[in-house]
Amino acid sequence: MHLRRLQCDGFRCLKAIDFSPGDGLTFLRGKNAQGKTSVLESILYAATSKSHRTNTERDLVGKDGDGFRIAVDTQGLERSVKLEAFWRQGIKRFKVNGVALERVSDILGHVSIILFSPEDTALVRGGASVRRAFMDMELSQLSPVYLNALQDYRKALRQRNELLRQPRVSRDLLEAWDPQLARAGSELITQRAAYLEELSELAQEAYRTLSDGEALRAAYKPDVEPGEDLDDLFRQSADNDIRRRQTTRGPHRDDITLTIEGQPARSHGSQGQQKTAALCLRLADLELVKRRNGEYPVLMLDEVFSELDAERVRRLFEYIDPEVQCIVTTTETNPAWNPTGRHATQFLMEAGQLRPI
Amino acid sequence: MVLDAPSVQRLVEAFRRLPGIGKRTAERLALHVLTAPADEAVLLSESVKEARAAITTCSRCGNLTDINPCAICSDDRRDAKTLCIVERPAGAMAIEKGGTYKGRYHVLHGVLNPLEGIGPSELRLDRLYKRIQDEGVREVIVATNATAEGEATAMYLSGQLDGDDVKVTRIAHGVPMGGGLEFADDATLTHALQGRRSV
Ligand SMILES: [Zn+2]
Repeated sequence: MHLRRLQCDGFRCLKAIDFSPGDGLTFLRGKNAQGKTSVLESILYAATSKSHRTNTERDLVGKDGDGFRIAVDTQGLERSVKLEAFWRQGIKRFKVNGVALERVSDILGHVSIILFSPEDTALVRGGASVRRAFMDMELSQLSPVYLNALQDYRKALRQRNELLRQPRVSRDLLEAWDPQLARAGSELITQRAAYLEELSELAQEAYRTLSDGEALRAAYKPDVEPGEDLDDLFRQSADNDIRRRQTTRGPHRDDITLTIEGQPARSHGSQGQQKTAALCLRLADLELVKRRNGEYPVLMLDEVFSELDAERVRRLFEYIDPEVQCIVTTTETNPAWNPTGRHATQFLMEAGQLRPI
Repeated sequence: MVLDAPSVQRLVEAFRRLPGIGKRTAERLALHVLTAPADEAVLLSESVKEARAAITTCSRCGNLTDINPCAICSDDRRDAKTLCIVERPAGAMAIEKGGTYKGRYHVLHGVLNPLEGIGPSELRLDRLYKRIQDEGVREVIVATNATAEGEATAMYLSGQLDGDDVKVTRIAHGVPMGGGLEFADDATLTHALQGRRSV
């Protein structure tokens, strides 16, 4: 998959942007706070309706503005897709090839983008919810069945938890939500287990390459083992749920365990190891999407040079398949500076404006 | 602009509250009413008033009716032992149009929805249970919509009602997921009624 063109208007601090990256490697050069990250963020938002830096669209609107508009043209093996995202004073609209989407979540799965950013360290250092959000986002893009199950599960869970907050809880009423919660939950568990098995193997390979032979392991840590009868489990934990006033068991409590050389990455990893581990999860996802969809996503690397030492950078660009379209930001503004050993298309970002150099 | 006049704004707002009507359509309808011959507008408002006054909910089944009890509840040829539970009058109407169902209905006027504060008492389920007992109902078909709330309601009713005396079945859902009965075509509905399964 290739990003052909990004146009955006009113997004963060960016001036009107019209950006056409190269097929291979593209450098977005610029000093800090000139808008490089916002360019990547706008692409991610158009493809997923999510930003990696905020959950509030209001934050994405430029100073003095009341909305933004993003258009992204992509070319895949089989089809070209034009995405349009529009937000103005709380009204959100997405279009795919000119057709307005009924539900915003229908945007997922059309265009595949992978972003690695400094915030990704939270995948290793943060709480379980960060890693669940990672699984949910990636699987929702890969599988419409997963996305449906996730929405069903969340909906039934919210209703069940609301019942549990009420002063007197009827067991019969509570159990009325269990079968659909169990059905959707089992789907999540099955797909997460398969995804993690594949991802772990790929992440291990990436980490070995980047870190000179060290071993990274990413293991699915389900709250409820795959194959266990969830419906039964919900019934058995109902008493505890009523006491604790929330649904205490289920895939909404899943996690991923990350270990480096057998030690928990979260507590024992050095900063360098943690950053590399986070990057390797993204790289593993890149390969996994290629396996499942038959083509590579667009890879965007934000500030990867300041995050990794020179040797890891060299190995990183040996690892990334030359077929992958890769957009990389750097604060190094000298066009001659290029530690990747690859030809790069180059742009300079200054005060929200982008120009080829 | 005429659309800014307070009386016209009220009219636009009233149209907007109708299901499936957005702002633009509401404005178009309002302009139509205002430019049509005066007696057409009067006819519309009178019809709304009269129909509203003439139609009530049936004291037995909760369906909309102009006589009480409704035509279906008072029709002896309908099978009193079979009861079909629907969310809204539109659901009963859709099944009725299919023409194959010979039992009676019970309209809940909603489904269980804790987040919106709707529980068994809001749906007046005690009235439903009493009716089932009083009328000697043997089969209950739950035809709530295929939404999360509709499914939970079906599950709950089945738990409360299913037993030696009463058999509870769930309408088979060829009816599209998340869709109401009123959006299903007649053939789908007939099929769904025939393919009902125990919950
Ligand atoms: Zn009636």
